[in-house]
Amino acid sequence: MLVVNFAVEGAHNCVEVDGVPYVYARTAKGSFVMPALCPHRGGPLNLAEVDATGGRAVCPWHERATSITRLRRKGIPAVRRGNTVTAVLPVPADSEVTTTHRPMSPAFCGGRAA
Amino acid sequence: MSFTPHHTPFELDPAQLRELALDFASNPIYLDNKEWENEDNPYHRQLRPQIIKYLDFSKPLPAGEILDYSALAANRLLATIYEADLMFLPKKGMTDSTWAGFKNFYSSTNRARGEMIRPYLEKHVFGFLDDIEVSGDWTKESLAAYLGRIQGQATEPSASEKAIRESSDPKRAARNWLIQFAPDFLSEASPMIRNVMGYYGPVQSEWFKIVIDEYGYGVHGTKHSTLFENTLASVGLSADLHRYWQYYLTSSLMMSNYFHYLGKNHELFFRYLGALYYTETTLVDFCRRAADLLTDVFGDDADVKYFTEHVHIDVHHGRMALEKLIMPIVDQCGESVIPEIVRGFEEFQAIAQIADDDFAEQVRWMDAGPRNKVLHAPVWAKIESGEVEAPVAHIVEPRGELSNTHQHDGDELCHIVSGTMRFVSGYDSHQILEAGEGTVIWRNRLHGAIIDSEECVYEIHSVGDYRACLS
Repeated sequence: MLVVNFAVEGAHNCVEVDGVPYVYARTAKGSFVMPALCPHRGGPLNLAEVDATGGRAVCPWHERATSITRLRRKGIPAVRRGNTVTAVLPVPADSEVTTTHRPMSPAFCGGRAA
Repeated sequence: MSFTPHHTPFELDPAQLRELALDFASNPIYLDNKEWENEDNPYHRQLRPQIIKYLDFSKPLPAGEILDYSALAANRLLATIYEADLMFLPKKGMTDSTWAGFKNFYSSTNRARGEMIRPYLEKHVFGFLDDIEVSGDWTKESLAAYLGRIQGQATEPSASEKAIRESSDPKRAARNWLIQFAPDFLSEASPMIRNVMGYYGPVQSEWFKIVIDEYGYGVHGTKHSTLFENTLASVGLSADLHRYWQYYLTSSLMMSNYFHYLGKNHELFFRYLGALYYTETTLVDFCRRAADLLTDVFGDDADVKYFTEHVHIDVHHGRMALEKLIMPIVDQCGESVIPEIVRGFEEFQAIAQIADDDFAEQVRWMDAGPRNKVLHAPVWAKIESGEVEAPVAHIVEPRGELSNTHQHDGDELCHIVSGTMRFVSGYDSHQILEAGEGTVIWRNRLHGAIIDSEECVYEIHSVGDYRACLS
């Protein structure tokens, strides 16, 4: 397993591991680390909106919905302290890691664009 | 059966809380001291009750205000409340004063009043830690990866260590540093012992082994507190419990209180495990550097065995915390307890960082004494000319009047109208201020004063930000 640190907001708010980008999403139902790629066709989940129930993240490409509760409880183990996230990713510890920036939808950053 | 149960949560409104806190702190053993130090009287702690009516402990302090005066007052109260569970005796036998203090400190009135306000004080000073968020599906494997990354990891010298080495008076800075450890190290492992009481299986016995190490296997000369007493004595400090109470920083008390907070509230048991692992693992490298630092500053006279002993034993304690406590307790209780363990690990890192930065700033504050005295003149000129208007307190005090240590939530200017004041900014750190002189006082910096003339008339101007007065 690989332990990574990255920022909640700002220039380094995305960690890419073996080509998969991960971001930290903050919603009214809680916060979590998630892959920024939709499992359907690779759409930008970091730009997803939250549906009217507040319970599901909707990919902007094909409107595939994912349960926020599931992302939070069954997602990647992570802890946030201040602007720093520490996550444990299910990949080999020697995987290649880079940090980049991905814009986040307002729904994923407490109503503020990042 | 006509009985109708009516079970409600225990709550105090802000006025009740303030009144109870004031009652608690008004105990004669907690009033202002006439001396800077408490001599062989473990029950005397200065809680400054005269200020409590101005404080509001009813809400958690935000992270940006965690070193404000309210936090210092609350941490002094909490340390006093937690320690009523511990046994302290004077070193030189009972005097009339210590007998009275003993009875008072351990009285049911003192303990009951303390327990009533404790939950609110804890929320006040530790509530900011609720900002830490743990999410996702934690397993034993992910926990092992998360905790394991700090094992054997060399750490950089802390801000405090750098501040001591760069100080204009490294010996003074190092003595103040050791003083900050006294609330924790002299009753070392007492918070931990709160977790070895009860009945919960093999982990309880494993934890007891760590306690045995801390207590020197029943040989008093090897008890860790004895080793620390030797360190204090070797650099000219005394090991009377809380002799240096007035020189404890807010964050030093917070560090010590944090483990009592976790140990006293057993619903936080799993957080204690995470915090324990962090402290035992990082102490190895820290203690190695601390021993070198004290030797560099004081020469070979410094007895650093306390620290070298921890370099050795904490290698084992870090491993034991992980393999014998944390992983078995996850096996026993299930993976649902892991987020709490992770949270404790993160919480203590956050507190340790605050304490490190706070002490480094206090060293800069002590070192800046002469310069802050010089800065009085330009700031006073702005006030005198009317360019700066700030709330002012006019104070007249007689010889020997001791303003017990405190701090302010903004910068202030002290201006001496007549007489002489000894302005104290830490242990063995002071400036003499005569009529027409004064000093800038930094926000959140611990200080006190004593009057060295028959009378001293002075003013305290709450300027907010002294740098803005200079532009």
